Amino acid sequence: MHIYIYDNYVNDKKYQPQISKIETRITDLGLSGKIIRLGAMNSVYNIVEEEIKKGAKTIIAIGDNGLLNQVVNAIAKLKNVSTPIGFIPVGKTNNELANFLGIPINEEACDVLSARRIEHLDLGKINNSFFLFNSTISTEDTKIEIDKNYSIEIIKRGEISVINIPTQKIPKEIKPSAKDNILELLINTKGAIDLFSDSQKNANNSVFSFKKLHIVNDKKPITVDSSIKIPTPVEITIAKEKINLIVGKNRSF
Amino acid sequence: MFNSENNEISTKNVETIIGPSIKVKGNFHGQGNIIIEGLVEGSVKTDKFLLVGNKSIITASVVAQNAKIGGEIKGNIKVKGYLEILKSAKIFGDIEAAQVSIEKGAILNGRCTMIAEMQEKK
Repeated sequence: MHIYIYDNYVNDKKYQPQISKIETRITDLGLSGKIIRLGAMNSVYNIVEEEIKKGAKTIIAIGDNGLLNQVVNAIAKLKNVSTPIGFIPVGKTNNELANFLGIPINEEACDVLSARRIEHLDLGKINNSFFLFNSTISTEDTKIEIDKNYSIEIIKRGEISVINIPTQKIPKEIKPSAKDNILELLINTKGAIDLFSDSQKNANNSVFSFKKLHIVNDKKPITVDSSIKIPTPVEITIAKEKINLIVGKNRSF
Repeated sequence: MFNSENNEISTKNVETIIGPSIKVKGNFHGQGNIIIEGLVEGSVKTDKFLLVGNKSIITASVVAQNAKIGGEIKGNIKVKGYLEILKSAKIFGDIEAAQVSIEKGAILNGRCTMIAEMQEKK
């Protein structure tokens, strides 16, 4: 059975037209299943665990980046589970990551679900949580240590990203993949000429591959998959766990 | 920085890029091609190609398969294959390589040892 987990915010009246269209499209495509609406007291992990025990065929997140991250975390934390994850992004707020999976917003995402194009993807691990896309933090007051062999000092301000699936512009020489069992550290600072850009825009990139990364910032948290904020210090590694995700043909990887 | 013609072959399939705003301290050991445009203190080692841009300053021993140097290096350089020293390079240390080219204008203060020559004597 397909399990549809509805994010709390989609119960708002303003999303009812989209939800109605999604439900109609799901029925038309013969993908009907069980609907579970998240409330303040529900745990996504407990829901996913219980439904997988009952034999769920697919777990589908209906919501935003944050719910997708929670479902990914729930599946990754359950051992030896390969149940595919589907995603139907509702509304444009906090849903920019869907585009990189080739999944359109609202009812059009149901067609991606129907095509059931499944990719077996790496995950990043940050402390005891997982991320599918990236973890980002400002360079300001941030200290980085890689594999305990060397440290990185960043002279200009910018952004630090640990990438599994890239959502930002990266040097053309670097080809990150969510299937290569490697994470990349991208440091993008401003104000210098970019050697690696065709357009010579003002940007300045550094890229490192690593096995284990330690990040400390006493003032700011690190943002995971554009949704969850985790206070530092954090240790980031490539996770042993992988997930099966239903993606669209227009995905970025 | 190098012109794009010089970089064309060298910068494909790069594993690491140390940009101009970055300072790396410690033992930096890679297995792929490396581009350094920033500052490094410690040691640099790669099994493949090393490209050192002309704004970079490296205070470290350097080991690579092949290397093209345009920046400043204070430390010894050991290259198993071809070491290309560009006119913008300033090297304060010994170099060891199988093949070397030094462009007019480059500064080299140190001994130069050819690996093939050493092996023949043995």
